[in-house]
Parts: sequence; C-alpha cells; structure tokens
Amino acid sequence: MMVIAKRNLKLFFRDRTGVLMSFLSVFIILGLYVLFLGDTMKSNLPDAPEADFLLNSWVMAGILAVTTVTATLGAFGVMVEDRTRKLLKDFTAAPVKRQEIVGGYILSACSVGIILSIVTLLLAEVYIVANGGGLLSAVTFAQVIGILVLSVLAGGSIVFFITSLLRSHSAYTTASTIIGTLIGFLTGIYIPIGSLPEAVQWVIKLFPVSHAGAMLRTVMVEEPMTQAFAGAPEEALREFKLHMGVVFDFGGKLSTMGASIAVLAGTTVFFYLLSIMLMVRNNK
Amino acid sequence: MSTIINVKGLAKSFGSLEAVRGVDFDVEQGSLFAFLGPNGAGKSTTIDMLTTQLKPDAGEATVAGYRLGRDNDGIRSAIGIVFQDSLLDPLLTVEENLLVRGSFYKLSRSELKAAVARAVETAGAGDFLKRPYGKLSGGQRRRADIARALIHTPQVLFLDEPTTGLDPQTRQNVWTTIRRLQKERGMTIFLTTHYMEEAAQADRIVVMDHGKVLAEGTPYELKERYATDMLKLKPHDAEELAAYLQARSASYTVASGIFHIPVAETVRALDIIDGCRSNIAGLEIVSGTMDDVFLHLTGTEVRA
Repeated sequence: MMVIAKRNLKLFFRDRTGVLMSFLSVFIILGLYVLFLGDTMKSNLPDAPEADFLLNSWVMAGILAVTTVTATLGAFGVMVEDRTRKLLKDFTAAPVKRQEIVGGYILSACSVGIILSIVTLLLAEVYIVANGGGLLSAVTFAQVIGILVLSVLAGGSIVFFITSLLRSHSAYTTASTIIGTLIGFLTGIYIPIGSLPEAVQWVIKLFPVSHAGAMLRTVMVEEPMTQAFAGAPEEALREFKLHMGVVFDFGGKLSTMGASIAVLAGTTVFFYLLSIMLMVRNNK
Repeated sequence: MSTIINVKGLAKSFGSLEAVRGVDFDVEQGSLFAFLGPNGAGKSTTIDMLTTQLKPDAGEATVAGYRLGRDNDGIRSAIGIVFQDSLLDPLLTVEENLLVRGSFYKLSRSELKAAVARAVETAGAGDFLKRPYGKLSGGQRRRADIARALIHTPQVLFLDEPTTGLDPQTRQNVWTTIRRLQKERGMTIFLTTHYMEEAAQADRIVVMDHGKVLAEGTPYELKERYATDMLKLKPHDAEELAAYLQARSASYTVASGIFHIPVAETVRALDIIDGCRSNIAGLEIVSGTMDDVFLHLTGTEVRA
C-alpha cells in the first residue's frame, strides 16, 4: 500500500500542469476577491483599520476549505487515469490485494490534499501579513492544520465517491471543472452566506465542506474579529458571524465546533463506506 | 515433459457476445506455445481468463499447478505478462517503474533490487534505466515491459502480441530475447500473434476464431493437414498444357498466364513436370505456409 501511495504521489507531483490545475480554483477565488469581491464585502464592515486583516483572514479561511477538496480531487486523477488506461490490469495481474491498491489511492490523495493545503496556508499567511495583518499564533496554527486534515478526509471521501463512478478521463475533467466552480459557492466564499436566499443558505449549511470552512473561519478570524469589533455591541458581532458563515444558524441554534467536527467525521465514514460497498458490488 | 497449463471448456460471454465458447488445450512445460487467430477471435479474452483478469463463465483451468478461481494469487505469482498495450507509468523512469511493480511480489528490499537487476539484464533494458518510460522508443518500451514481466522469474510468460507495431529489426530483437528465455531458462512462453512467421517458430500452435479452437498441432502438422503445396508453371503453349493437365485430371487455375497446380507434396510436382518438360518456360514449387493454414481454417485473410 505504501509503495502504491508513493508511486501515486510521484506521478501526481511530476505532472506539473496537474499540480497547477489543483491550485486553479484557489487562484480564481483569490483573483476575484482582490479585483472586486473584496470591495463589496468591505462595505458591510465597520470602518476600522483592522477590517482588511479581518476580511483577508476570512477569505483565506474559505480558500483553504476549497483547497482541501480541489487538491484531493486532483490527486484522484491518478486513479481515474489508471482505470481508463487499463493500467490497473498490471496491478491486478500481480498478487496484490485489491484493498491495498484502493488504500494506496486514498492515502496518496489525502497526502496530496494535506500537503497542498499546508502550502496554501503558508501562502495565505504571507498574504495576510503582507497586507498588514498578524500571524496566527502557534496554537491556532496547529488548530488550523487539524481542521485541514479533517477537511481533507471528509472532502476526500466525497471526491473519492464521485471519482469511483467516473469511467472516462473526459468525465473526470468535466467533474473537476464543475466541482471546482461550484465549491466556491457551496462553501459560501464568492458571496457570504448571509447575502443569499434562504434555500441556498440551507444547501451551504448541509454541505459538509462548509463546516470545515466555518471552523477555519472561527479559528482564523477570531483574532482580527476581536480587534475590529472592539467596543462594538455583542449583537453586531453575532450578526457578522452569521452573515459571513463563521457560524451557521440551525433554526435558532448556532453551530458549534463539536457539531462541525461530527459532521466532517460522519461524512468521511459515510462516503468511504458507500464507495467500498459500490466497489465490492462492481467486482462481482 | 509435463503439462504446465491445462484448460478445459473455458467460456466467457459479454452480454450476448460469446467471446470464448468452450476451449480446451494443454501447454507443455518449457515449450513455446502460440495462440493464432484474427483480431476478435477470443485470444485476449482467453489470456485474460488464464491470467486471472477475467472470471470465466464456465470451464476450468490449472496454471503452474494452481487451480484457476481457487488459488488466483498462486497463479499471479507464477506468471509474468507482457500486455499488448504499455502499462508502465510514463512519468516514472524505467527503474522506478520496475521497483514499484516488483514490490507486488513480496520480496525483501535486497531481493527486489537483485531481481530488478536480473530482469533488466535479461531484457536488455540497461541502457535506458534512468529515463522516463514515456520518453522511450517503441522497442525500448517493449524491453522495459518484458523486464517488468520477468522481475519475479515467472514459470510462464504470457505475451499478448508482443511484436505488434514494432519495426522489423526491433521485432527480431524482441523475438530473440523470447527464444533465449525459453531455451536458456526453460521458461514456458505463451504468446498470441497474428504474424504467421512468428507462429511458425512455435513448438505448438492453437488456431482460434469465433471463440473456438479450430486446430491444434505443431507448425509442421498443421501445414501437412491444412496447407497444400503449389506448382506454378509458365508454359510456351498454354493450350497444350491445359490439355495435358486435363488428360491427367489434375485441377488447376490460371492467373496471368501462370498455371497454379495444387499438389499433395512438393515431390509430386516432378511427375507433372516430367510429362511436359518441353513446354515449360519457367516453374516454381511453393510449399504450403502458415498463411495457407490460416486461410484454410478461418476462411479469411488475416484480419488486421
């Protein structure tokens, strides 16, 4: 399993365009934000010097959530490629267990997800600091990485499920494009959740990766938020958190970190089980 | 000699298409065994079943002493396969590819290194070990593929059209390597091909079409049975020759002034020649080829 995972990693990182493509949605979001989304959002914020720090941290948290999914998706490209080129034949013609092959794909995809997310996190910190913000403390940094890992596992499980249904390379490319585009909306990054109609808000709240986004925001925005909202009424802070998707409102109850972790963990288990069940059925 | 592959009534359908409809054959240990047939005859499907890639619908087989379906992992560790298409990773070097694929066979790190070195040496892939597989020429790739199949020193080596798409010289090289493996290592070689001249070099041939075994035997036996020798005569006087042949009640066809007269054996041609020597401007005696066998059995030219 380790050998297969290592092979997949090599294949992924040697395909430079593939690596770049995994970062594509990150660049798109960042571009949109720098160009015009930022200005629109800033109008909703108190006119404080910390507003930039706050908004930058918020966007970066969202971008990180997206990266965990798109990077993992990119890494599963190796699996789709193997299947469409019938390369798997050479694996199954050797005395290797099927579980080892599948395990190798999941392991490598999650490793890619975690590596690329951490790279993105470092870049994000550089961006925030360069624009007058502050660095994350060691504790929050560790928390962020923990959430990233969890998000990669959950996002990876969904993506794994989707890719295990795909039978051709073009189907995979199409799926990647669609997911890459939709994910920005589904996690409430392009437009803050508070500006969207009720129905769409529910879609976001029920989408597991949004919970990773919410947790990342909670952790990353904490510091700038207390700075920006120093002296502002409690109600304004709550309003901001809800509007920007730092916490979600479930019929008057606010989501908690614990609940979000549970959602991610549940998603991971559910989708991996589903994919494995499907594979077992297909093998018969 | 003992039997290393034994196949009985093996069958496989894909939906309503009966790809393989009950084939039986044996392969002797250490022999070079050729599977001949047009594309779509069911050769690859049969190989896929024997190499545990496809589950047969019916029938049974043993490979290297392991029962198909019961001890597939045993079969997998006893066979090496050179696939029709390249199945190594283009972005990895040949060496990386071999180390990855070699790790499937539960060897220790040092054993694996030694095994890879040995396979590389045998297949003659040493010159481009550090180059990415995707950048190699067709012939080099084939060598790498063969090295891949040899890592675990299999008892049986399956080659699915190993020389298709290669230039004549490379084809010759690959072929020499295959012969050497059989002769020096005593490896059993099981290959499919639609090149007649390759099949003609095998110890035993099975001709297959439409999912069935049509004929089986040594190349010599098959030629004896299914190919006719041909006497080609160019006469001074065509009418005189025609009358002569009719008098002997020999059948013939004429194509652009040349008389084609089938004979049971090449020697028989002498009788015909003796009786009309003065009328002969030119002659040629052609013994039957595997092409004839193939045409006779499948009723078609080789479907390329």
